[in-house]
Amino acid sequence: MTNAVAMHELSPAPAQSANRPHWVAGRTKTQLISAALLAALAVFAIAGPLAWPDHALQDLSRFLEAPSAAEPLGRDHLGRSVIARLAHATQLSLVMAVLCVSAALLFGTLAGIAAAWRGGWVDSVLHGLSEVFIALPALLVVLVVSAIANGDLWTLCLGLALAQWVEYFRMVRARSGLLLAGPAVEAAGLLRLGPAHIMRRHLFPELRPLLSTMATFGVGSSILALSTLGFVGIGVRPPTPELGLMITEAFPYYHEAPWMALAPVLVLTTILIGLLGLRSKESRA
Amino acid sequence: MSLRLNNLVVTHGGKVLVEADQLDFERGQPVTIVGESGSGKSLLAHAIMGTLPPNLTARGTLTVDGRSYDVGDQSNRRGLWGRTMSLLPQEPVLALDPTMRAGEQVAEGALTFSTDKRGARRAADTLLSALGLGKASRAFPHTLSGGMAQRVAFAAATIGGAPVLIADEPSKGLDQRARTELAELLRSHLDGGGVLLTITHDLDLARGLGGKVLVMKDAHVVEHGPAGRVLAQPEHPYTRRLLAAEPSHWRHPWMRNPLDVAERTGAVLVSGEGLSKSFGSEQLFSDLSLEVRAGERIALSGPSGSGKTTLGNVLLRLLPPDTGTVQHADVLKRGRLQKLYQDPALAFPPRVQLKDALGDVVRRHGLDLSRIEELMGSLRLAPELLHRRPGQISGGELQRIAIIRSMLLEPALVFADEPTSRLDLITQEETMRCLMEQVDRLDCTLVLVTHDDGLAAAVTDRSVTLGAASSLPVPVPEVQFAGG
Repeated sequence: MTNAVAMHELSPAPAQSANRPHWVAGRTKTQLISAALLAALAVFAIAGPLAWPDHALQDLSRFLEAPSAAEPLGRDHLGRSVIARLAHATQLSLVMAVLCVSAALLFGTLAGIAAAWRGGWVDSVLHGLSEVFIALPALLVVLVVSAIANGDLWTLCLGLALAQWVEYFRMVRARSGLLLAGPAVEAAGLLRLGPAHIMRRHLFPELRPLLSTMATFGVGSSILALSTLGFVGIGVRPPTPELGLMITEAFPYYHEAPWMALAPVLVLTTILIGLLGLRSKESRA
Repeated sequence: MSLRLNNLVVTHGGKVLVEADQLDFERGQPVTIVGESGSGKSLLAHAIMGTLPPNLTARGTLTVDGRSYDVGDQSNRRGLWGRTMSLLPQEPVLALDPTMRAGEQVAEGALTFSTDKRGARRAADTLLSALGLGKASRAFPHTLSGGMAQRVAFAAATIGGAPVLIADEPSKGLDQRARTELAELLRSHLDGGGVLLTITHDLDLARGLGGKVLVMKDAHVVEHGPAGRVLAQPEHPYTRRLLAAEPSHWRHPWMRNPLDVAERTGAVLVSGEGLSKSFGSEQLFSDLSLEVRAGERIALSGPSGSGKTTLGNVLLRLLPPDTGTVQHADVLKRGRLQKLYQDPALAFPPRVQLKDALGDVVRRHGLDLSRIEELMGSLRLAPELLHRRPGQISGGELQRIAIIRSMLLEPALVFADEPTSRLDLITQEETMRCLMEQVDRLDCTLVLVTHDDGLAAAVTDRSVTLGAASSLPVPVPEVQFAGG
């Protein structure tokens, strides 16, 4: 043990770049590029709807108009501005995904900590519930929930969150169980440091890297699930622009206007590549 | 068989980590290197084997049976591994593959394994039976005790018939009985005509092996000579200090004569009655009654696996007993009952700076922040250490910070679970001194779990021994080496 420490100290220290800002230092090049991609998309999602506010205005005389300086992505089969629709769809996807993941993360984490901390019947009930959700396919959960409430946005969000909380719950429960049974928490108990200290110093620092990696992937899979639902026509209801729905609508005109179908695909790909590249290596520990 | 090391220098950057002019190893003549952690002992062994970490550079020559090898080129000795030289690794429990059965791991070491697997397995079984581990051949390493794992590692290291055996801290973490067995095993290797180099900070083991002893400090050999002389009449001041750090030689103001305190009858702090506990089918203790009185210093001793730590946790009410009751006096409420852990790194939140870990205690209990500085000073620790995380400081320093943390609440009883068993002698003395000065100052009760009888005698007034060890002698194999 002591020698392992000695060997560790001998290994060369990572080069510290003092003059770079804190959030850049220690990030890989991939992470910086991914962050830049996502930032560009976020700017598009926020500023796009302001620059092209009207996504529903039809002008049938401009049916399938080719891209131009004023309309960078041309017009669709109903003469609507494709860039306006794309900007609104991107915004919708990102906001929905972040909401779904936040809800799933919050509920899954709290339930996981509660189950690990209290044990007993709390654990049995929550664990049983999570087994039920694992047994059901995630898309089925979303479909059932949105069918009940007739496809409103909040039901889609709820459905996705219900399908996703289980993974957070199971990970947090397993990890917290180990931490809470360990000597560090036992020592904190003998020092009478109380539950707030255990949450803040013992659980949160250990769970945070895992949760942030899972949440990154969760955002990606929520966006994909949302556009899958749009693609098969049971997600967000038509005039509202949605990435999956836009792909479906553009398919019949692929030969005349390929940019119409490719633009939402490009946005989806960029989001997913950005999210995958963002994950940090330390979550392997 | 002869082995000679000439002009070895191991460096990292510009810093010299090991420097040795000439070392000779002969058959049947054990060489033992002693010294504290960080003195370069283990690096010397790895330099001989050719297993140094790649960022270190080594210079020098190694002569094996008249053939010279450049120590700087690590790969040229691979052909000797297993046939001529083998290494008995540190912490065998970690060195063994947890997914392979013991017998299979030993068989892999046989030189004929690639051509004759069945013969190799037979040889492994024979060797393990000779070591009294016939049944353990089919067992996975995690089911073995520390001593058994050490014997499996010994079998794996010696099955290839290598006459040169290098043992790196072989007695670390072993209890008294396992250490005696280990010394016998190493002696059996010598009696068979082998060459033995042992790296250790365990002076008892060095005495038991005899032969030649080298004392290392700060990368250099400061003293060498026959074990009988070096470890009895040392010349170098460092060797004297090393010997004085053995618990049986301690002289400290906080030490007290057990006879003087025999009539001490403080209030009962913890009383356990009719306690028993078992894990699965294994009964650790049954119908055990124990009283801990204020001001007492008690040792819980016994071989590893005898339930010392479990009994302690039962007495601290961290673990419910199967039968019996544990009563705590009111003075122990509000955190005045503290525990020190064998591995302090596990007792702190790993990603939190130590100043926050200690600061939380101070804030929670409304203490004065200057208490931390004051204790850091009296435990001879630099205040900068508080800005690091638990994994970034040495085990001895972290254990002292754990002592500070437990002393912040001025405990009435401290339960110390093998607090120094992973530390070398000098660090152990320093750590125990810090602990006992605080215990003495607060007139606090101490329950010390240890398997080191010398430490128990130096620190405590009375001892509770668990699990009378069965006194079955361990068979020692007969080894013969060809050539020479």
